Amino acid sequence: MSNYYNMPALPTEKSPKVPITVDDREVMVPGDTNLLEALQTVGIETPHICYHPYLPVSGNCRQCMVEVDNPRGMGLAIACYTPVRPGMKVATPVTSPRVKNARKAVSEFMLVNHPLDCPICDKAGECSLQENYITSGQNESRLSGAAGKQYHGTPENEFKDTKGQVRGGKRLNIGPRVILDEERCVQCDRCVRFMRHVAHDEQLQLVSRGDHTTIATFPGEKLDHPYDLCVTDVCPVGALTGKHFRFEQRVWMLSRTPSISMDDSLGANIWIDHNNGFVWRLMPRCNPEVNRSWLSNDSRLAYLQFRENRLLNTDKGISESASAVSKMLSSSAGKIAAVLGGSCTLEDAFAVKELQNAFPNRVEVFVGSLDTAGTPDGIAKSGDPVANRKGFALLGFEISAEELCKRAGEFETLVTVHADLWGANASLAAALSAIPNRIALSAFENATTQASTVRLGVNHWSEVSGTMVNCNGFLQKLNAAPVSPSENLMPAFRVLGILSGKPVSSASEAFLKLREQVPVFAEFTHESVRSAGVKLNGVSV
Amino acid sequence: MVRQIKQKPMNWIERLYIFEAFRGLFTTMKHYLRGFFRYETLPTVPYPEMKPEILPTYRAKHRLMLRPDGTPRCVACFMCAAACPANCIYIEADSSLDGRIEKKPSRFEIDHLVCVFCGLCVEACPVDAIRMDTCDTSYVHRTREDFIANLETLTQWNPNDYSQNDVLSQAAPGGIKNQQALESWKLRVY
Ligand code: SF4
Ligand code: SF4
Ligand code: SF4
Ligand code: SF4
Ligand code: FES
Repeated sequence: MSNYYNMPALPTEKSPKVPITVDDREVMVPGDTNLLEALQTVGIETPHICYHPYLPVSGNCRQCMVEVDNPRGMGLAIACYTPVRPGMKVATPVTSPRVKNARKAVSEFMLVNHPLDCPICDKAGECSLQENYITSGQNESRLSGAAGKQYHGTPENEFKDTKGQVRGGKRLNIGPRVILDEERCVQCDRCVRFMRHVAHDEQLQLVSRGDHTTIATFPGEKLDHPYDLCVTDVCPVGALTGKHFRFEQRVWMLSRTPSISMDDSLGANIWIDHNNGFVWRLMPRCNPEVNRSWLSNDSRLAYLQFRENRLLNTDKGISESASAVSKMLSSSAGKIAAVLGGSCTLEDAFAVKELQNAFPNRVEVFVGSLDTAGTPDGIAKSGDPVANRKGFALLGFEISAEELCKRAGEFETLVTVHADLWGANASLAAALSAIPNRIALSAFENATTQASTVRLGVNHWSEVSGTMVNCNGFLQKLNAAPVSPSENLMPAFRVLGILSGKPVSSASEAFLKLREQVPVFAEFTHESVRSAGVKLNGVSV
Repeated sequence: MVRQIKQKPMNWIERLYIFEAFRGLFTTMKHYLRGFFRYETLPTVPYPEMKPEILPTYRAKHRLMLRPDGTPRCVACFMCAAACPANCIYIEADSSLDGRIEKKPSRFEIDHLVCVFCGLCVEACPVDAIRMDTCDTSYVHRTREDFIANLETLTQWNPNDYSQNDVLSQAAPGGIKNQQALESWKLRVY
């Protein structure tokens, strides 16, 4: 059989509904998909290891067994590769002891030589093997005494443990970001398929045969790809784990906040996993229309910088400092240039619009932060570092910051919002030093805050609620994770609200004002934007 | 199930109260005088001159068990912290220096001011690394911070204070089975 499999057909809203009989109960399911997905739409979970909705179906683990009617009666079949047929009869463990037995046997087989690593395994708590054992396995171990576990790794990685038993390869350094544990691998082939079909760079392979099969890179090569940390997500077990999260926390200690990665205009959907006021990892949040299940290493590891070099307001309250700046702005009549950095939310952009209204004919708005844009990589990055560019355009802000550098002489005041102009391109930004008042609203201490005369610390995007429009015209919502390093910080839109003399207290309030002025958003509120986002009508992409 | 306990009704002397009060006082006086003349026979213990006898099964102060080479057996799995109802165990994990073991605690703290001595941490530990059999029940410190037991204080126990049949304790450095255990352990890690 070829190594190339078919991508699973996923159900959509337009899928035709067909009747099938599940456990003597008639249900309507999408007709153009596989049984595993179809059962999921009616709330029946099928345990699975090798199936992944965004990877080609391989059907090698046999964990997803169901009984399906065929000309010879009911027979076992794998749900992940059986297409839905109108009128088909399906039996799950609820009515079929045979399915129950089959799933239990598969679970037992998978655990035969699996190490007892759960207490020290970074996957524990979100491991498919554990979940399947609980839902379908629960067998007594039959491996006692002499018939103990036989661990096999590649011979050069074998070692004797403290009890004198031969063990397979543990903590193998297969790349700069990923660690492999050969014993925990269940040979599901998902990581291989990810590298082959999604990353298009076959760096991982299954080598050897039978229970000696292991995952390996080519001799002398490393797993090194801008998306290689996605293999730690697709790996259903703790065989591939990321070094950035190694031993940091146990997964059940983490709380999750759904948000949007604001470092790219595709706006990859993420979970912010936090505990005790710190972000411990960012994980991709599945959104079929945006980033599917993928997240680039850059976006994923961005959290390591969230706490570094934070600009904290040490002296007085941020609202007092902001009021002082507001007085300064209203006491003069010179022109003001406002620069919206890429990670500004729609609320921040709208607050700048309010600033424009508060000082009529004085405020000109520029977008971007002098960063150079890359090209889309077709996975989870559009290459444009100005995440909310589309959103700014909908508010009528399109002039780029380069333009400002050319016309710096016209302005008396510069307000940068999350825009590190000096850090991105110091030589271009040098012209801006001619502007006498330079006010920086920034989450970080950076070259721009150093080059500014007034520094106002604001919340980072992981700490604010808000909305953004991605490059494909999806309105998406950010939620604030409770990880702000200081009480004395505010989201940028609130600080801008104080500057323009129209304070707002929350992002949803700001959005209500925004939708009065920008008709595309008229039908939405903060609450009505679900975690999957909504496609804006009539927005060109 | 409801169990009803019938009380014996009081007779009229008892209901008069005064005689019963004197009977109670008599018991008190008996103990009072016994304290003067036959001190040793008192049912209470004159703490702190005399320490009460505490069985190893009593849930006393925690200790962390040691491997033959003296490193804590704890593999920093956080099971005890997850089980702890008082949320008073704080662990930070790190890679182990022993190539055969993956994980070790770099910080392990139990706040004894918060601990409710339920023993769930002991039950939860998959490697028998934490025990509460020290028979030590006195907590006397000058600052709140001193009540937080850490990796150092939790591993400072002497195998000689524990039963000779307690294999795990005796395999620790200083124990009678340490030499034997070290041989099968082979590698020494500093
Ligand atoms: S992969 Fe890790 S968590 Fe899952 S069963 Fe194996 S040891 Fe346990
Ligand atoms: S490393 Fe993980 S994803 Fe790859 S084959 Fe093994 S279990 Fe599957
Ligand atoms: S005895 Fe109970 S309260 Fe105390 S540390 Fe252990 S689990 Fe927590
Ligand atoms: S349960 Fe045991 S091994 Fe796990 S962290 Fe606690 S003491 Fe250490
Ligand atoms: S999930 Fe169906 S065979 Fe693996």
